[in-house]
Amino acid sequence: MSGAATYGPPEAIARALAALTSVILGKPAQVRLCLACLLARGHLLIEDVPGVGKTTLAHALAQILGLQWQRVQFTSDLLPADIIGVSVFDRARQQFDFRRGPLFTQLLLADEVNRASPRTQSALLEAMEERQVSVDGHSWPLPQPFFVVATQNPHEQLGTFALPESQLDRFLMRVTLGYPDAAHERELLRGGERRELLAALPPALSAGDVLEAQQAVRQVHVSDPLLDYVQALIAASRAGTNTGPGLSPRAGQGLIRAAQAASYLAGRAAVLPEDVQQVLPAVAAHRLESREQTGAPGAGNDAVRLLQAVPVPV
Amino acid sequence: MITPGSPPQRRAVLWTCAAFAGGVLLHADRLPPWAVAVALALLTWRALTAGHTRAVPLPVRALLAALLAAVVLLRFRTWNGLTAGSTLLMLMAALKLTELRSARDLLVIVAAATFLLLSACLDRQDLPRVPLYALQAWLCCATLAVISASAMRARTALALAARSLLYALPLALALFLFFPRLQGAFWAIPRGGAALTGLSDSMTPGGIGELIAQYDIAFRVSFPAAVPPPQERYWRGPVLHLFDGRTWRVAPTVAAVAAPAAPDREATPYPQHIVEEPSERRWAFALDTPVRSAGTQLTTDSQLLATAPLTAATAFDVLSYTRVRSARPPSPLERRIDMSLPADANPRSRALALALRQHAADDSAFALALLEYFRRGGFQYTLTPGTLGMDSVDDFLFRSREGFCGHYASAFAALLRAAGVPARVVTGYLGGEWNPVGRFFVVRQSDAHAWVEAWLPARGWTRFDPTAAVEPERLRRGVLDLLPQGLSVSERLWRRSPWLLHLLQRWEAANAWWTDRVVRYDYASQLDLLARLGVRSPDVAWLGWAVAAGLALWLGALAWWLGREPRPLRASALPRAYRRLCRKLAARGVARQDTEGPLAYAARLAAQQPVLAAGGGAQLLQRYAQLRYGPPGTRHAQEVGDFARAVARLP
Repeated sequence: MSGAATYGPPEAIARALAALTSVILGKPAQVRLCLACLLARGHLLIEDVPGVGKTTLAHALAQILGLQWQRVQFTSDLLPADIIGVSVFDRARQQFDFRRGPLFTQLLLADEVNRASPRTQSALLEAMEERQVSVDGHSWPLPQPFFVVATQNPHEQLGTFALPESQLDRFLMRVTLGYPDAAHERELLRGGERRELLAALPPALSAGDVLEAQQAVRQVHVSDPLLDYVQALIAASRAGTNTGPGLSPRAGQGLIRAAQAASYLAGRAAVLPEDVQQVLPAVAAHRLESREQTGAPGAGNDAVRLLQAVPVPV
Repeated sequence: MITPGSPPQRRAVLWTCAAFAGGVLLHADRLPPWAVAVALALLTWRALTAGHTRAVPLPVRALLAALLAAVVLLRFRTWNGLTAGSTLLMLMAALKLTELRSARDLLVIVAAATFLLLSACLDRQDLPRVPLYALQAWLCCATLAVISASAMRARTALALAARSLLYALPLALALFLFFPRLQGAFWAIPRGGAALTGLSDSMTPGGIGELIAQYDIAFRVSFPAAVPPPQERYWRGPVLHLFDGRTWRVAPTVAAVAAPAAPDREATPYPQHIVEEPSERRWAFALDTPVRSAGTQLTTDSQLLATAPLTAATAFDVLSYTRVRSARPPSPLERRIDMSLPADANPRSRALALALRQHAADDSAFALALLEYFRRGGFQYTLTPGTLGMDSVDDFLFRSREGFCGHYASAFAALLRAAGVPARVVTGYLGGEWNPVGRFFVVRQSDAHAWVEAWLPARGWTRFDPTAAVEPERLRRGVLDLLPQGLSVSERLWRRSPWLLHLLQRWEAANAWWTDRVVRYDYASQLDLLARLGVRSPDVAWLGWAVAAGLALWLGALAWWLGREPRPLRASALPRAYRRLCRKLAARGVARQDTEGPLAYAARLAAQQPVLAAGGGAQLLQRYAQLRYGPPGTRHAQEVGDFARAVARLP
């Protein structure tokens, strides 16, 4: 009967959160969202202007979660085989041998994912959804857990292929970082390169811990009154003003998963409307705004409007 | 749950002390004061040190136990019996207070308190004590609840205990009505038995005066057929034969079964149903003159004797005739006893008697002349006469000339005997008060009376009441009506106000019902009830099995009822309570925003109105979040109720 009683997240998770915030200065909310996204078994899209620490964040996530990770810099000439792997003919054994690409890792950092060709993008995104790769009639399962953390740069229009809506939907959350505030900026200026700090950081979790935490997140209670609220939000997004079709059922599922993870991080055993409100902008913004040219940092106004329009049912 | 090893909690100890104190107080006026004082002292000490219950060293405890047990044995010469047993139980349980190592020890003490309640029930069953017994049972049950969960709030524990007792009530009723009664065996425990108030086996002239000041009920009578007229309402009790010049006593020889007196032809039979209050004596009072009664013996002087001292309210069905003819003349021995006077006492009255007898034609005329003497002799009827000397009859007749029934009866009988007429003093009661509610007569100790019977050859034993000659009103009215100075202030108040008198009569009728229907409910009544339900002559085993089956059914039904799914909560209860909470908080300046969840609201409340938040507001919001969005527990409905009440309590 500890529905909303605060008991704190498991110690290891709390340590991971603390370590992340010590690396990514001044962005505790975003850091928390990123972690929640991963614990909710979602893929993460970090979108912002260059130089605000996207890559550092992704790097830090991989390092602190203790996951085996690979980084792929996406360019326009990157081919699907470059990330998935290739079948090579082994002359000695007279058969094709599958050489696994960088995709076969627990955490894939896909830098500037919108620079790759649509073909490569969709190869990646299919793997994200299926959590397995099919080559030459063979299926190769991806490791557990499997996350994609992609970054993209909204302002760099030249030579980019914007991710289509259907692909964006595969990302559970889109997080924007934004510039740090003055105090943290000064600390950054004084402290030098953050990435060097990263190398010295011990992992706070292991892959097993992460899987366990994902299991625990599934157990966080979702009550009927909360589902009422989520449905009201989804309905409002569809009836909404200028933003197209609104949130899909998959978005709704993702919203609840993300809220469960946020509740777990807050140390609760049941999802509250506050948890939904916390994750909604990150979950909904990229789905609602994809029609427009994606906005500047601080976008997600549609999602915020949604929250302001839908009352919490009593 | 109770963990046998853990030291008892302070609250549990205090509750146990209270329960045990209740048990002790139920006995406080019956058990020896020193024992009650010891028990209360130990209780006080334990209540003051309830927080740290280290056991008193074993040798000290053992010594105390041996000492107290020995004192009880010395005082009562036994450990058996109701009084001695209760005293021993009380003292040993009080000693148990000195070794509280675990919750189990508390259970032992509560069990002892319950046993004290049981022995109090065996001791006294009057209606006014029933609420006390119920309260004590309640307290004991609530204490059990607190012992098993020491964090339980008093109100919760009391409510739980009350509910449990209510569940048990049908069971108790069924057992009471149908469980075969062991006839007489169980509570025929020897009693401590100090004589209670009432007439005694001897009478000094002033003796009855003390009795008259008592308003206690002696017995109740109802007449299924005719009701005797007021001047015939003499209730016959002990007959006194032996006179030493001052005191009249019963003769030890007369208590033998006798052939009853024969009724006069055309005399009215008066069947009566009499319920006597416990008196610790064998006397059964009945309308003068009783001739037949089941379950009693009739003595040669027409007194009814029960087979055993009346330790509880007892009922008799008696047939009386107001006019009877004595079955046989007194034997020479009886004659001698009833004519004997101390040789040289009361010389002046002896002379007076002889002088009056000479002028009278026969014994009957002589008795009437004596009555006339009393009527005209300047005697005064008063409850506060002066004291009399050794020659009490002379002193009374020639000096003080004031007194009440005892004085007149004593003098009248002495005068009769002085002139050679066999005479005896009959004690009993005269009159009685009609209770229109219960339709019975109440006869009180204040109605105590004494009169005289003389042997007249023509008519046998004949009643003469010299008191009535002096104060004829006494036949119609109670002593206390005539002489209200004998009443206490509160009793005078009772009688002054018709409304209060009616209340008193109702109360006494309720008491009568309780005594007749509950206290005296026995095996015969059970068979009666069963016969009325259509079960004729069941045997005890059959009855036992039927009751057992009924019990099993009831317990099964109860288990099903208590174990069933909790009733679905009305879905609106929680939101309604929440909206009420929000209204209250809004009235204090922090209104909830539509899009705000409960925790966000609590955080804003804490920021804007820290005092209000700390005063319960924030906590209530958190409880709401838990109840609304948390997984519903097994006690969800109850917790919602608690939440709603907590909201209601918030100012």
